[in-house]
Amino acid sequence: MADIHPLTRRLLWLFFAVVSIALYLPMLVTALASLSRSRFFIFPVSRYSWKWYEDTLASQQIEQAAITSLIVAVMVALISVVLAFFGALAFARYDWKGRKSFQYLVLLPIFFPQAVLGLAVQLWLNTIGVEMSWHSTVFGQLVWIAPIATLVVAIQVFGYEPAFEDAARDLGATRWQAMRDITLPLLWPGIFSGFLFALLLSWSNFPFAYYTSGADVTIPEWLHAKMIGGYTPMVPAVGTLSIIAGAAVLVGGFSIAAFVKAILARKAARQRPA
Amino acid sequence: MALLELRKVDKFFDDFVAVDRVSLSIEEGEFFTIVGPSGSGKTTMIRMLVGMDKPTNGEILLRGKVINDVPANLRPTCMVFQSLALFPHMSVGANVEYSMKCKGVPKPERRRRAMHFLGIAHLPESYYDKPVTQCSGGERQRVAIARALAFDPEILFFDEPLSAIDYRLRKVLERELKDIQRATGKTFVYITHSLEEAMVMSDRIAVMQKGRIAQIGTPHEIYRSPTSHFVSEFMGEVNSFTVRPDGDGRLVDLKSGRTIITVPDATPADLKSGVLVVRPEDMLMGRQIPAGAACVLAGRIVNEYVLGSRVQYQVKAEEDLYLVEKIRAADDTETVGSEVEIGWKPADARIFAEPMQ
Repeated sequence: MADIHPLTRRLLWLFFAVVSIALYLPMLVTALASLSRSRFFIFPVSRYSWKWYEDTLASQQIEQAAITSLIVAVMVALISVVLAFFGALAFARYDWKGRKSFQYLVLLPIFFPQAVLGLAVQLWLNTIGVEMSWHSTVFGQLVWIAPIATLVVAIQVFGYEPAFEDAARDLGATRWQAMRDITLPLLWPGIFSGFLFALLLSWSNFPFAYYTSGADVTIPEWLHAKMIGGYTPMVPAVGTLSIIAGAAVLVGGFSIAAFVKAILARKAARQRPA
Repeated sequence: MALLELRKVDKFFDDFVAVDRVSLSIEEGEFFTIVGPSGSGKTTMIRMLVGMDKPTNGEILLRGKVINDVPANLRPTCMVFQSLALFPHMSVGANVEYSMKCKGVPKPERRRRAMHFLGIAHLPESYYDKPVTQCSGGERQRVAIARALAFDPEILFFDEPLSAIDYRLRKVLERELKDIQRATGKTFVYITHSLEEAMVMSDRIAVMQKGRIAQIGTPHEIYRSPTSHFVSEFMGEVNSFTVRPDGDGRLVDLKSGRTIITVPDATPADLKSGVLVVRPEDMLMGRQIPAGAACVLAGRIVNEYVLGSRVQYQVKAEEDLYLVEKIRAADDTETVGSEVEIGWKPADARIFAEPMQ
């Protein structure tokens, strides 16, 4: 970094500042709006208050929506990651006849507008007579999120050398032993990222929930309903809490990963001879 | 009985013939090298030998039993991969022990044996806990060998594992590998594109060309008595002349019309046209040329390359370039620009019927 011209360095900092402001100012404004005492958002905020947070945490409606969203997100993430693991192996690891077509098929849903895809899923579920609830939302979101998780895991698989598995098999490992000892541990970072990614995408996904959840309400749906009719600063309050929860999942997730790694390292160290 | 035998083994990929009716046998305790340029089919060969590919036709036998359809993990053989394929998330010890772990050998026993194989592969015991990702190129090589030996294979295959290693270290590892083979008495089957590498380590060499075996023999046989122009060229740069018989037991160089004397039994009986090959180190210069030389050419030295104890001259005679190599001497007077005569003894030339491939 020492060779960078001072002017270039200043411009880089300026660029960094502009990007940061563009990215984070909206979130900051949302947080400010939720802290305003008045019912309508006026800037600058004249009086601050925790009132809307108290109301939010007291609301059973929001509690129910949060639980629904959480269940949907966890289900979607778990199913996505299983589909993504095997999908990614087919996508990036094995050479087979239909592989190219499979790659296009997997990618296609990602390029579809979510609203159209959500509507399509709704029409289809209606046609076959499925009653809409959070179950159908899980199904609907999988159509869009599983391919994305597949891509995330596939990136890890592309960097995975097939010779590792061949070598394990050559050393006498069964297919299952090679999968357990070599493939899974080496693909684990991708699988874990895919899981977190799917979790967060589902948590904040509106279009699929809107079309397919029937009477069940998720957090994004609740936000949308309130913004259309009956805005209170509870909307930005829920939004802010949702952002914090998402960030917590990310930080928590990677902390757990780091913790597990440290434990494994200590376990390995303990097996060392005295 | 041969340890490993191939009987007319073919491998087709659609219409492409990668391996073409190869038959050979490898004896127990042998260091056998399959050598050939890229595309000669040697990688396909080793994939079939270890069980990652199946032959299209023919039979592969291990101790007299056909093993064509036995997959890699059920064969008592093991391979050191070109990339080594050391498991990057494991320590050196865990890599070496992996085959024993798969067999269910208890931990203390695994560890004891891993230490033994680390020793054989010239690695200190303290490396047992070292992550493989922290090992140098040469150390990784040794870990791969230790891991393969720990499997206790009947045959150890090597797929050009030294190709990505720098020259000096490669020379050290080549000798270590040969020492390990001698010390353990294991059968090693080695694949490489470098005949030089093959020469150093092997008991016998099979030279492959376009999916076929061009020649099998000891390093000495391959070097001294190549059976085809391809094998002699593959050994290193040579001087080649396109020739035909003149009817009086001698040969005529088609290009210059010059007569070349040969020893009687060097020329194939029904030769119509062919190639005469002389190695640079068999080319003689000036006073070295004896009275009964096969042929004498007059030319001028245009280049001089010092190769350590030897020196190689590029001599231009009648628009063609020839290579002459000799031991360096204090009284060498020849240098770039010198007018010289070059020639060779009739016994030092090899004559092959087929044109160069």
